[in-house]
Parts: sequence; structure tokens; C-alpha cells
Amino acid sequence: MYGAPGGGPTVYDPMTLPVDDNVNKYTFCVELKGSQWFLQKGKMIAYYGSMEFNGIGHGRLDRLVRTSFHSPLHASDWVVAEGSGKMLLADRAFDVNSYDLDDGNLTIRSGNLLAFQPSLALKQSIVPGFLTLIGTGKFVAASNGPVVFMEPPIRVDPQALVGWADCPSPCHHYDHGYMTGVMGGLRAMTGLGGASGEEHQFEFVGAGTVLLQSSETLMAEQATGAVPQEPGIPGSGGPFTGPSQPGGAPRLPGQLGDLQRRFGL
Amino acid sequence: MFRLQGSKVLAVDMTGDAVKAKNGSMVAYDGQMAFKKLSGGGEGLRGMVTRRLTGEQMTVMEVRGQGTCWFADRASEINLVSLQGDKLFVESSNLLATDAGLRTGTTFTGLRGASQGNGLFTTTVEGHGQAAIMSDGPAVVLRVSAQYPLTVDPGAYIAHQGNLRQSFQSGVTFRTLLGEGGGEAFQIRFEGDGLVYVQPSERNTIAGDV
Repeated sequence: MYGAPGGGPTVYDPMTLPVDDNVNKYTFCVELKGSQWFLQKGKMIAYYGSMEFNGIGHGRLDRLVRTSFHSPLHASDWVVAEGSGKMLLADRAFDVNSYDLDDGNLTIRSGNLLAFQPSLALKQSIVPGFLTLIGTGKFVAASNGPVVFMEPPIRVDPQALVGWADCPSPCHHYDHGYMTGVMGGLRAMTGLGGASGEEHQFEFVGAGTVLLQSSETLMAEQATGAVPQEPGIPGSGGPFTGPSQPGGAPRLPGQLGDLQRRFGL
Repeated sequence: MFRLQGSKVLAVDMTGDAVKAKNGSMVAYDGQMAFKKLSGGGEGLRGMVTRRLTGEQMTVMEVRGQGTCWFADRASEINLVSLQGDKLFVESSNLLATDAGLRTGTTFTGLRGASQGNGLFTTTVEGHGQAAIMSDGPAVVLRVSAQYPLTVDPGAYIAHQGNLRQSFQSGVTFRTLLGEGGGEAFQIRFEGDGLVYVQPSERNTIAGDV
């Protein structure tokens, strides 16, 4: 037997590893008993027992994918683990935590979601870069620093936002006094004259919970996949159908048209 | 005597004895200390040549004296390993300090090494005493026994000790080539009796994206 007598690190084996719980702040253990879990590619660090990892495109998984995976073009980043044994998940030494959803919904930044039970359905959010989980089950998410839960109404820093549950109103909020007029526009664009860097927030109202991480380090964004190119779908780049957008030559960003609008001309 | 002060600083209490530590990892000391660079990791000329050839280079210093010496490296988490005559396999970049009485050397790891992106060779530490290894995030120590073999992602592996056989598993199929792989195309399987150290973070490996 090898072990660390007194004061050494804890040595885990399949018996002492927790079941669907954290091993330490940065590592999460999932027990599979012939069941399946969805996980983001490459987040498994070790496992006991026999497991198989299959890409979502695997034919045998068609039925499972049909019921609990609705992010079609994002599929190549996800795999299904199945088998029996215990599996450790971790992500770049970020804090990981599990959350239980009970017939609820939660929207989360795509890079933060590590794994979820197939009893939850994963869908692309209408908000670009976010994913929504609906149903009952457990999922594992990573964050830079521990996650704090806040009650709306609340305004949060965009970089600190991890996700939200049951609040239907994520919207942008600008401090208008600071952002309008010529001076405001200049300040916002150049950062000169005392831009605090906090003029822009996300605002949530209504009943629900907002999840924040305790740092403003963003996790690398996972592509959520392109949305269908149809009119009326945010982020699709689809053709504009309304008359409100005056046609004409496509403007380069930063061209004068933008400036004019910013300065309220 | 090695002890951890917090999780990122190693304190070594010495009474005239010596430790080998990564060059430049001393952050503070108390008492009388002498620092000496050991060319070739104190393994003699042969070790020096081997390390140069294998690319498992490490610059090591010997610290000798009386008092307490503190070591740390880039705020990495530090894990203590005690060796009772068994052998520790660790990447040279993850090794922070060892008792001077422990023998270090290099060994061929084959495909496992290649899959980790750390080259084909690894460092061994042998004897009776303590060693300190570093990881990105606190390491999880997993026991491998006859009835419980363990499979590890090459990017998260940092070290192992004991009497373990390792085999390299590749799940590369035509699906991988189509970009539909399982994301865990390369794995190392450990069988036998011993401990494996994994870190909660994955190095970039060639297998990382398949």
C-alpha cells in the first residue's frame, strides 16, 4: 500500500470518491451506473471503471440527442459519456460546482457549462453565446472564483455574469448621463475623461436568480453554433426585412454613420 | 523535513542536511543557507548528457544549511509525496524539490510522453524521503489497485508512484477523422498498485482537440 501517513494529501479510490459531488473546489466526481452524461470535450481528467466517450454524431446516440440536445451546430464540442464507474471532471483549475434544476430553466454562458444529465434538455439561448438548460436534473458549471447567487432586480457587470435562472428579462443598461451627448460619446470611445469602465451593465428584473462569478475573467467562449439564417433571429446575420434599416452600402465599423448616431446628430 | 505553508509555499526545515530544488525557486530563508547550482541535476556527467539528449532538462540547485527555507514557483499548487523505497515518475517541469538523499534520473515513457506533449522522457525520483511536485490547481491523488484500474487524460496527468503498468489507449477511429471524435481520443490506463496524481486542468496536448 502506498499512502501518505498523517498530514499527507487524501488518497482517493473508487470507494472514497464522492458520488456526484465535489472532490475539491476544482474537481467534480460523477458516478455513472450504466447511465449517460453529456460533457464538454476534454473536461474528463480521469476515471475508474469502464466508460466510453462518443461524439454527439454517433448514430447510436440519435435518440438521446433528439430528446436532450437541441443545439445542433454546437454538437462537435460535446460528447456523451456512458458506462459504469466514477469520472472526474475539471476545467483549467477553475472552480466547479454542481447545480440541481427541478423542473426549471437556467441560462448559462456557453464556456461555463461543463456537463449535464440527459434528463435536462440543452438548447441554444436566443441571447448569443448562451445556452439554456430546461428540465429536472443536475449540471456542472465552472466559474472563475466561487459563484454567488443574487436576486433581481439587479444590474451586473457583463464579465461577471455566469447565468440566470427563471428571469426572463436580460437586457442591456447604459448609464445615460454618462453616455449621451458629444462629451459622453467621446468618453465612451476614448476612455478619456474618466470612463469608469462600468457604464454598461446587464439588467435583470422579475423573479429569479442571477449567478455571478467573483472575478471578471471570462472563460474562453465555446461556440454555440450558428443559428439558422432567417429573418428575425438575433445573431443570425440574416437579411433585414423591416424598412427601418436604411439600405445602402455596408458600413465599416467606426465609420462616420456610427459616430453620428452616437453623438445624437 | 518538508511541510506546506498554505498550498503554494513549501517550507523545508533543515539541520545541516540538504535538499535539491528547482533553480531559483527559493523565496525566503531563515538561518544559514548555501545555494549551489548542480549541473545536470546532480546526476553526474552521464545524467547530464542523458538529460541534454532527452530534453528532460532541469536546472537544479542544492540548498544546504540550518534553518528554514521556503520554496515556491509561479503560484503553482504544491503536493508532498513521501517515498519509501518506491519510485516516483514526474515531469521535470512539475518537480519542485526533493530530499538530497533521493536519486533522480530519466526514463523513457514512449507514446504516453508524446501524448502529453512533454516529450518522450520523464524524470524518476527514487529512494527514501520526500519530494514536492507542482500542479495547476491542487492535485487529486487516486489509488490504483488490482481491482480498480484507472484511466487518465494525458493532459491532466502529472505524476505517479508505485508499481504501476501503464498502457496507452487510443480511441482514434474514422469518426475522429471526421471531426466527430469523443474528445478523449488518447488516454493512459494505469494498472497495478500505486498512486496517480492528476491536476484539475489540462495541458494543451496534441490530443486535446480530437
